[in-house]
Amino acid sequence: MSEGNRLSQNAHRYLDGEPHGELPEAERVQTDRLLEAVRAYGESLPALDETLDDAVLAAVRHRRPARRRTGWRWLMEPREVRMRPIWAPLAAAAAVVLLWVGTRGPLGPEAPALTPTVAADTVFVRFELMAPNARDVWLAGSFNDWRAEQLPLAAGAGGVWSTTLALPLGEHQYQFVVDGERWIPDPTAHAQVDDGFGGTNSVIVVGPKGVVRS
Amino acid sequence: MVVRRVLDGDTELYRVLVERYRRLFGRYAVGMLGDRDAAADAMQEAFIRAYDSLASLRNPDGFGHWFFRILTNQCHNAVARRRPTSDVAAVDLPAPDRADRLVEQAELGAALEAALKELTPEQREAFVMKHVDGRSYEDMAQLLGVGVDALKMRVHRARDALRASLRGRT
Repeated sequence: MSEGNRLSQNAHRYLDGEPHGELPEAERVQTDRLLEAVRAYGESLPALDETLDDAVLAAVRHRRPARRRTGWRWLMEPREVRMRPIWAPLAAAAAVVLLWVGTRGPLGPEAPALTPTVAADTVFVRFELMAPNARDVWLAGSFNDWRAEQLPLAAGAGGVWSTTLALPLGEHQYQFVVDGERWIPDPTAHAQVDDGFGGTNSVIVVGPKGVVRS
Repeated sequence: MVVRRVLDGDTELYRVLVERYRRLFGRYAVGMLGDRDAAADAMQEAFIRAYDSLASLRNPDGFGHWFFRILTNQCHNAVARRRPTSDVAAVDLPAPDRADRLVEQAELGAALEAALKELTPEQREAFVMKHVDGRSYEDMAQLLGVGVDALKMRVHRARDALRASLRGRT
């Protein structure tokens, strides 16, 4: 039975198309009325046609073309580089690994010297967020296609949530997702950018020698 | 493949992505905003922003998910901008003894649209994707990056609120 203004779980299962028990007549009428309203609303919605495609193409034709950002171009760009103390040991370890891999020559003795543009190069980066009241915290960013519930942070002492990721060299943008709903930037990041949608993305730059700026 | 070619300078090929994802997500945008022009504006802006940021997309095969996140942000912002001006009372309520079935259907749809405006953007989004778009919870979870249980909760709360709202209107 429904309680007050709420539908019963049985009714929700019915509306979800799941196995359900018999609904009381009054609730059955109400759920069918809701479905009828949804159907009427859906049928009233206009479709977006190809004039939208034309408008988009007309707009992007006059913009600077999207260009692939090559590793070499990224390496040659001047940039400020700072290291946060918390990442120093990890960055140093990654640099040692890079040096070892470089001198080992994975492509054989005749292969050219390994350059920092090798795609597999990664640096371990620790992300932290102070969120004592959070039920769960996730990390979402350009490195995981902004999937909100893929990279969980672990709760630690004092309400600090953290995770360590191996990130490829390059620039990454990210936000924390608190309780599956609230997207918030990293308050400790040195660089923040407008995400263009009313929010703010934090920026991290993972450098070729394990040096990191955030 | 298409994304890579656009990044390599074939701007006209962007039309392929625009057409594909307009068809896939256009109904979502119209359902979220309840207005064709507003939905077209939101989608156009989302496509332009996606184009401008295309080089930052690390996995070209993930364009759909990535674009959907841009679109959802665009729609949520549009909802937030106009929320104070929404005028639910302006909708005519259907008369209980109306004989004309078509008129009643249209009014029922309008009543639902008015009731949808009273939901939170997250509830409206989940309800529209589930019932107007006809998506499965698993599909919604993939697109929104939110767990199935959380989405079911949003849909259930939306239904409870809509049922109560419709009961007062029809």
